[in-house]
Amino acid sequence: MSVFYERFDRHDHGQGLKAHATHYCPGCGHGLVHKYLGEAIQSLGLQDRTVLVSPVGCTVFMYYYMDVGNTQAAHGRAPAVAVGHKLANPNSIVISYQGDGDLASIGLAEIFHAANMGLPITVIFVNNAIYGMTGGQMAPTTPMGLKTATSPGGRGRYDGSPMRMAELIAQLDAPVYVERVALYDAKQRVKAHKAITKGLKLQEERRGFSFIEVLAECPTHLKLTPAAAEQWVKDKMVPLFPLGVIKDISPEPWPEQPEPCFDAARVADVIGGATGEAQKFARGFAETGFGADVAIKLAGAGGDGAQTTALLLARAAIQEGFDATHIPSYGPESRGGTSYADVHVAASEVLSPAAPHPHVLVAFNAPSLAKFGPTVVPGGVVVYDKTVIAEPPPLPHVKVFAVPFAQIAQELGAIVVKNVVALGALQAATGLLPKESLLQAVRQALEHKPQFLALNEQAFERGVQAVEALKRAEIH
Amino acid sequence: MAQTRERPKPVLHPDFCKGCGRCIESCPKHCIEAGTEIDGATGLIPVQLRLDSCNGCSLCLEACPEPYGLDHESPEPRSSEPPHIPGTENLVAIAAKRRVAETIPDVRVPMPALRPLVVKGTYASAIGALLAGCRHFFGYPITPSTDGAELMAKLLPELEGHFVQAVSEVATINHMYGTGGAGLRCMTFTSSPGFSLMLEGLSYMIGAEIPGVVVDVMRAGPGLGNIGPEQGDIKIACRGPGHGTTQTLVYAPATPQEMLDLTMLAFDKAFEYRNPVLVACDGYLGQITGRVDLPSYMVKPGLPDWAVWGDAAHRPNLHTSILLNEADQEAHNVKLLAKYAQMIDREQRADLYETDDADVLIVAANTPARTAKGAVAVLRKQGIKAGLFRPITLWPFPIRALAPVLPRMKAVVVVEASNGQLEDELRLALSHADLHAPPPITNVRHYGGIMPQMNEIVACARAAHEATPSRRTRETEAEAAARVLS
Repeated sequence: MSVFYERFDRHDHGQGLKAHATHYCPGCGHGLVHKYLGEAIQSLGLQDRTVLVSPVGCTVFMYYYMDVGNTQAAHGRAPAVAVGHKLANPNSIVISYQGDGDLASIGLAEIFHAANMGLPITVIFVNNAIYGMTGGQMAPTTPMGLKTATSPGGRGRYDGSPMRMAELIAQLDAPVYVERVALYDAKQRVKAHKAITKGLKLQEERRGFSFIEVLAECPTHLKLTPAAAEQWVKDKMVPLFPLGVIKDISPEPWPEQPEPCFDAARVADVIGGATGEAQKFARGFAETGFGADVAIKLAGAGGDGAQTTALLLARAAIQEGFDATHIPSYGPESRGGTSYADVHVAASEVLSPAAPHPHVLVAFNAPSLAKFGPTVVPGGVVVYDKTVIAEPPPLPHVKVFAVPFAQIAQELGAIVVKNVVALGALQAATGLLPKESLLQAVRQALEHKPQFLALNEQAFERGVQAVEALKRAEIH
Repeated sequence: MAQTRERPKPVLHPDFCKGCGRCIESCPKHCIEAGTEIDGATGLIPVQLRLDSCNGCSLCLEACPEPYGLDHESPEPRSSEPPHIPGTENLVAIAAKRRVAETIPDVRVPMPALRPLVVKGTYASAIGALLAGCRHFFGYPITPSTDGAELMAKLLPELEGHFVQAVSEVATINHMYGTGGAGLRCMTFTSSPGFSLMLEGLSYMIGAEIPGVVVDVMRAGPGLGNIGPEQGDIKIACRGPGHGTTQTLVYAPATPQEMLDLTMLAFDKAFEYRNPVLVACDGYLGQITGRVDLPSYMVKPGLPDWAVWGDAAHRPNLHTSILLNEADQEAHNVKLLAKYAQMIDREQRADLYETDDADVLIVAANTPARTAKGAVAVLRKQGIKAGLFRPITLWPFPIRALAPVLPRMKAVVVVEASNGQLEDELRLALSHADLHAPPPITNVRHYGGIMPQMNEIVACARAAHEATPSRRTRETEAEAAARVLS
């Protein structure tokens, strides 16, 4: 039995002779390549495993003929589609069949990166030096000087020069087998047949990516008889595109791909889901004077830790059964730019997560305090780092706590915990969440770094104490 | 003892010979020559065989480009088979006739009870995808969507899944064409410029009826724009992503929770309709961290009967979007349109907040809808009965939920981070529903990475409320005058 369909029902509904004849012009090289591919699939017993990706070009209808799993790709994208199929079912035998316009022009990125990835797929590249389907335009592989529909004066200096795809592909590390073959005489045809079979065999053995370039005839657009076209390939193309094996290595096979995991316990673990209730410490939503939806802004420079503090706050609130949100906002720099965080903590639902007029501001540096201090609602709370802000702007409408975050952290031996000092200060200044609830969030964050736990707990406590001292001083 | 066996000699089927003559020079015994008689069926001149000295070397078979031109000896000529009567059936029908695979159904696997997660929007979406059974991710880094991709890169290998950083968004969507075509659940995260690059592939996926989920974290444009939040992709998402008769469901989450829920839903819908599904969120939502409750189940996907999987059962299947015969292409379009009509009929989703007694209706989606919710609370404190209509599906626009509340409204305020793209969807839906006299529609719009602010929404809604319905005509005239003057 052949790998060709008994009837080509997809070819114009298999009307008349189309049920058994291809749509190719007389003498076209594609039919030969189809035959060798079909016989290779058959001889290796791969018909039931094969997924054939048809390109755009004359072979767009390859699925009319080949009785295998078929898919038809967008122009140039066949190797990307092939990668998608191979990753979906590593046991499938995936063939990407492409012409020169498809592979060497519009699809350059896709072929190079599929080759570079090196998955065991087989690419058949049929190079006939011209665009066939669209009517004989210049291809990336057209020889210099050749007159085509889009190079009526002959391919010239503005048209680039013919691209040797097999050599380019062979330069990459990953491909295991690259050969260029031709079809112009019986000897070449035998070699082409063998090369295609070898490419498929290497895939079956999971050796890696193989690439077979076939120099083929397009008698119609070369305006030659089939015999003359064969001669033309021999005389004009072979000197440009030397035949033979360009690369042939035999590495260890790719390892077998394990089945994707759908075990619920494993998935739960991977997505970070924790079982059991988190401990709750709050007795209802705190009476802060700011209502049931409290807006907090934390502002500083990148590295100050404002985002971490914001996340700890949000996590603690959510674990208490409240709703909370956090929006980060950064300057364009990866490090050292501005870093602001808007947090909302609400009894039932955060309505608007931005905090243009926060109830509470935590400022890590002077520019942040100057920028956001005046936006805090009257009666609000401002906590800032006294270490780096010597002269705060006047903020008569709010309650201000000047706490030396950085200095305390330095005393504890690690400047990086200044944001945890700030978290403690925020807790004491607002009473928004119980201390234990925030400490629980700190402990969870350090689950895998227990050596830093005591330091962070101390930092938190020092922040709390600093604010309490300020409150006492105010009373006295 | 040496065995000799006579090798079969070639048989020519003149009807399938195009007379190219490639076999002539291949024969070492010179058994083949160019023909002289025109074949009545093809109008071509087939070659002629004189097999007296043929030794069955089969080199001529290797030289014949036609599968059934030169053949091994075969008992009956193929042309004697009954002619196939062309009808209205298209390729899909042919494939259906040949189908032998049976769909392996998806299974919902119970999950242990888990504490709520505290994660950002992109993470919630990625986790939703994992719970929905997606084990293949393809993507290209682009801010502000990349966090989601990074989480997938970290987690997928732990579930024996695949994360592929594609060479571009163009390759990304075509990887999805492959994996989706194989019948598996796959996705990508992208942001506006990347989404533009995916439109070609989306059109092919829609044409070939291949499912997949694209999460577009919309950023400011046009062009490179900036990485601030916008909703500027609503137009290309809802008016048909890609060339031709294209349409996809477009979900617009407003919270990290919905990023998870709607991503999960998107996978189910993508496979239910065999069509890509878009999840469109703004850059803010991608970054907003919030509470995310986990579902009680996860999905272990099966394998659909239409998959091109690479096994015997699925061998007859084909994915293609080319139908050369115009009648076939039209029939395919009619089929797609029927599918879109079903989506319009079944898939509209909306959230109505405080609309029961409202007379000013704010319409907003994504993060602007949360800001608008805040504005509703403020307006109500000020004594204005405001409500919020939040489309969860941007396409189909949930007109069925909007129509009944609309007559009670004195005014509609559309709030969006785009140049009126949401309002256009609203107006188009009104028109299609033959609702030609809606209340006056005003708007709060920002673009360029700036989001509508709550105080602006409050001010706009107040102004709209204070204008009585009877002043509507005059207002319109005044607006027209203002436009002319400006």
